[in-house]
Amino acid sequence: MATKTDVLVVGGGIVGQVAAIEIASSGASTIVVDAGRDSGSTANAGSLHVQMQSRFMRLYPDQVPALEASLPLYCAAVREWDHLDKKYGPFGMVRNGGLMLAETVDQMEFLKAKAEREHRANVDVEILDRDALDEIAPWLGPQIIGAELCRNEGKLDPLAANLRLREEASRLGVQFAQDQITSIDERNGMAVAVGSTDTWHADRIVLAAAWGTGSLLSDLGLAMPTKPEPLHMNITEPCAAHIGHLVQHADRSITLKQLSGGQVVIGGGWPADDRRMARVPGVRCTSLVGNVALAARLVPSIGKVRVLRTWAGINTTIDGASTVGPVPNAKRIIVAVPGDAGYTLGPLVAKMAASFVTGSDQPFDAGAFSPARFAF
Amino acid sequence: MTKNDFTFEGRKIAFRDGLTLAAALEDTGERRLRYTAKDGQRGIFCGMGVCQDCLVTVDGHPNQRACMIRAKAGMEVCRQTALPALETAAQPLETATPEVIRVDVAVVGGGAAGLSAAIAAREAGASVVLLDERKTTGGQYYKQTAGDIAALDTQQAEGADLVRSAAASGARILSGTEIWGAFDGPLLLAETEGSAVVVRPKALVVATGAYERPVMVPGWTLPGVMTTGAAQTLWRSYRTTPGKRVLICGSGPLNAQVAVELAKGGCEIAAILDTAPHPGQRLGEAAAMALADPKLSAKGAMLIAALRRRGIPVRHKTRLLRVDQDAERLRAVFEDARGRETAETVDAVCMNDGFQPQNEILRLLGAEMTYDTRYGHLRCTRDRAMATTVPRLFAAGDCAGLGGAPAARIEGTIAGRAAAAFSQNRQTVDATAAENLALARHRRFQDHLWRVYDPGPQDIDDIAPGTMICRCEEITLAEAEDALNAETGHLGTLKRASRIGMGRCQGRYCGPVAARLVARRTGRPIEDFSFFAPRIPIKPVAISVILAVEEVLGGDED
Repeated sequence: MATKTDVLVVGGGIVGQVAAIEIASSGASTIVVDAGRDSGSTANAGSLHVQMQSRFMRLYPDQVPALEASLPLYCAAVREWDHLDKKYGPFGMVRNGGLMLAETVDQMEFLKAKAEREHRANVDVEILDRDALDEIAPWLGPQIIGAELCRNEGKLDPLAANLRLREEASRLGVQFAQDQITSIDERNGMAVAVGSTDTWHADRIVLAAAWGTGSLLSDLGLAMPTKPEPLHMNITEPCAAHIGHLVQHADRSITLKQLSGGQVVIGGGWPADDRRMARVPGVRCTSLVGNVALAARLVPSIGKVRVLRTWAGINTTIDGASTVGPVPNAKRIIVAVPGDAGYTLGPLVAKMAASFVTGSDQPFDAGAFSPARFAF
Repeated sequence: MTKNDFTFEGRKIAFRDGLTLAAALEDTGERRLRYTAKDGQRGIFCGMGVCQDCLVTVDGHPNQRACMIRAKAGMEVCRQTALPALETAAQPLETATPEVIRVDVAVVGGGAAGLSAAIAAREAGASVVLLDERKTTGGQYYKQTAGDIAALDTQQAEGADLVRSAAASGARILSGTEIWGAFDGPLLLAETEGSAVVVRPKALVVATGAYERPVMVPGWTLPGVMTTGAAQTLWRSYRTTPGKRVLICGSGPLNAQVAVELAKGGCEIAAILDTAPHPGQRLGEAAAMALADPKLSAKGAMLIAALRRRGIPVRHKTRLLRVDQDAERLRAVFEDARGRETAETVDAVCMNDGFQPQNEILRLLGAEMTYDTRYGHLRCTRDRAMATTVPRLFAAGDCAGLGGAPAARIEGTIAGRAAAAFSQNRQTVDATAAENLALARHRRFQDHLWRVYDPGPQDIDDIAPGTMICRCEEITLAEAEDALNAETGHLGTLKRASRIGMGRCQGRYCGPVAARLVARRTGRPIEDFSFFAPRIPIKPVAISVILAVEEVLGGDED
């Protein structure tokens, strides 16, 4: 079987959907193919990240310079979400800011130094002591001595966003298909993607396959280190609005927030078991109890609320920076992988990738994010 | 305040010892227990802790199931709002150190199968702990009485004997203990009265029984509409009834039994509606049933005689169409085989349309399941010793697929003995010849019994588009169909697009319907993976309980 289209988007997550909307809006026939498993976007927990995440800095210290250099991209990415929310929302989105908490003097010092660096990149950050925290977040545990507030940060309901964006793409005539793409190449002036059920011929291919991207590029002269991280998440039953901020910690893995529907979502990078061919990644007991217990200590007021569900989704890391742009040896193939904080960065990265296809103005200078850095 | 009072919305409610909040409130005619996010009202539905619809706020703590909590003097009980307030204090949570139980055999479930398993495992020399979510063991078939009410009949007396034998066996019985986590090992995490329990057995017998399949029609979520089993619990365990005039619908022997029981309790039974044809048209099956088990068949014949004597009308090939609120009462509209519509105004509508196995623990631990198209539910693959495909894991009774209480007792005995042998590194003992014979007989009886009735679920085509199929998230069939139109994938896709199955019952009622909906749309047959992926927690669990578990097990961050 062979199918032809103007543009093929590989990957149906947040990047693929927004790229497809942009490209189809320019009039090109567009198909999105997705393998339908081990996804990131459909399992996302809805944090909008801007400040450098302590977990990432702790686990990937060598990637921190690239992350720090990307801060302006993060700021622009949340503004892109504002724009999407206005145009296609509501996604239950709020930007009340994010708090990264400290329990020790060392953690406060870490946050102060981090805030200074972020401030230089024009991120809207401020260090708060406990008195200042009591004004805006009196629900925090008594052991919290201060926090870094990043006003750019926020949260949204990813299920609502995914659904609305999918509807918009369908309205624009984007076709969705299920296929596992196993190789990508340029042949006879066409970009060709070979899948397990079909061969796809397109004028351009946008490669938005998150952790699956690296292996598809290895035959095209790129060694892009996309790494899947199966991460654990928890959600509670709904309760009255209480927690306005996205909550993180200076030295522990956690994100905690309350969605517009009242549910509290707890995640932040605790590991799950990647079972690959099994249908869903497996939940680890140590992640469930560790993640939720940490949340209970930071925000004791959620103690009586019940956890309804846990699940795992796949986060993708690369080298600390997003990767957007044409493959040097195969310019019909455009890479669009945001890397860590992929849901936050996704729409902007998608628009940057789409502009390589449609020739429209770049919404953000992609120069620093080219896949050429992985050429071997 | 006198000894036996609590307040509901500020009003004094007198109660008898041993009653649950749900029973005590039903006793005084209070049935609106909760408001939903879409301004709906809910009351008792399943009566056994599954549906999570009877949530009330007790002494300021929201999300308490009225059907699972015993009334205590001085409790302040309120209707729960859609978004209950969080605690205001930011003080560290106080948690009790959980008990860690290391034991040869853990049995989950205190019904016919579980009690039998515990007794057999003890007789085989194993140390045993039995965990049951109800305050009183006995399970749904043997439903024991609360407080000091005398046994109603031989069924209850037989159950009392079994409960006594289990207690005398030396097995440790932890009632009021609900399993919320099950991991490889096996490792079980449970909650009891707000405290955590950690169980590490060498072998595990799952005997969690089944819950009732409802009849989904517009109005099935109204307070006053409940499962037949919930009404039976009100009467058998607590000696109260769901109002005066009752209509019962669905298909199966429980409906007739409960009709007679409620009539004895003073209810007027407006009618029993059964989707199956008159048994007179299935005489062969009835005869085969009598042959398979004369004793149980005689019990059935007596039941039919009792229905006649009491003038309880049984309408065959008749199905419920909808339930409307009619002032303080309910108006149930139903349709017979000729398409004629009739209505009855009643206080309660009871429904049982077959059973769904409670197989969450088995599925979570990876036990192999196959879909039984006739019964419309999954059956767990087991060998003759009731061992599942997962090492150390045994399954007994209805949780492995419907089989009835007499079979569950034998299966429990076999499983308990085999689990004990396994835990002591002895060779597994298979069932005895007598057990195999008896089991075969009970299974033959069940098979014929369910040929007289209709064991399958409602046909999706018979469900009106506006019917809520997800009680928790309040999603209608039409909304689910719309979500499938937007993106046809699998059940997970439908869940994310519609929020079906994301509520507190964790998809126990909507899941089977949604699985059939997806199968119909995609043309793919139903299998284990057609259902919602099993998730932890198995039942919603308070964050403070998880915190307590972390204090003994620890977390592993990176």
